[in-house]
Amino acid sequence: MDNPDEKQIERRVFTSFFQAGFIEAFTGIFLLQLGLPALFSRSGFGDWESALLALPIALILLIIVFVVRRFVVIPRLGHVKFLPERRRRLSKLVLVPILTLIAGAVVGYIFSENASLRHTFVGQIPFSLIPIIVFSAAAYFLDMKRLYVYGVIVGLTFPLGKYLETVIVSRNALPATILFTAFVFLGMAVVFLVASLRKYQEPEV
Amino acid sequence: MKELPNQGKKQTTDSLSEIMNIDRLVHSPARLSILTYLSVVEEGDAVYLLNQTGLTWGNLSANITRLQEAGYIEVVKEFKDKKPHTVLKLTDRGRQAFHEYQNTMKGLLDTKNLSPASGGE
Repeated sequence: MDNPDEKQIERRVFTSFFQAGFIEAFTGIFLLQLGLPALFSRSGFGDWESALLALPIALILLIIVFVVRRFVVIPRLGHVKFLPERRRRLSKLVLVPILTLIAGAVVGYIFSENASLRHTFVGQIPFSLIPIIVFSAAAYFLDMKRLYVYGVIVGLTFPLGKYLETVIVSRNALPATILFTAFVFLGMAVVFLVASLRKYQEPEV
Repeated sequence: MKELPNQGKKQTTDSLSEIMNIDRLVHSPARLSILTYLSVVEEGDAVYLLNQTGLTWGNLSANITRLQEAGYIEVVKEFKDKKPHTVLKLTDRGRQAFHEYQNTMKGLLDTKNLSPASGGE
């Protein structure tokens, strides 16, 4: 596909399949999964208990997202098999979780070596860099510029939370900031989904 | 080099003959739209085309039939979740016809051919 107009059309078609708010929903659920355990652990629960308490909420939300996508959105948008070039780019998305794992392992190692770092403002920098790297990689492979912005928003959430924690002297400022961002993304997901459902009506055969 | 008086006229005549030879099957807006949206994917179903082209079911169906008869698209009817599902794919012939049409139109709409100086008004 050498024609720039065709490339533009292909890009528009491809992105139209990601306009129903699923990326926003996944980002929101991911942040919820970080914010809720942090909130629970600061309310007296242990680390494992907090994670286990938050897990069912994320699972329920993920099931809802998949059901809506499978039974509501896809029948309205139609099924498409993209060209091999696009599929190759999509397959490179596998690099995103690999990057996350590597970055997470590096941060985990640094924090295990120096636990006090976790509670400092500087200690939040890796938490900012990981989402920026992951979202940038996704933005590049999916060819969606808005993901760069999402990376920055998610990345800024952690230092902002830490900053608010010191300014308003509240233990819950960091989880509250993460949860606020999570709800913003979940809200955006709902708005995008409604807009998509209004745009693409159920076809009447 | 000075242009000969008949040179611009000849170019216009060539352009006109190119217009007359254009593939009318592809030239229709509805069919051109169908071919365009099929050319950017490997295959797509009728709902995808309906959404992207903005055509009605009847119009889409009629134009798909014409393109299928010409051998420009391949239509596979199947059942998905017990519902009829129509998958469409551009054939090599269809892709070639589409690209030929694109090139011809680009040539015709080229500013050189349309500029008053060349006589292509």
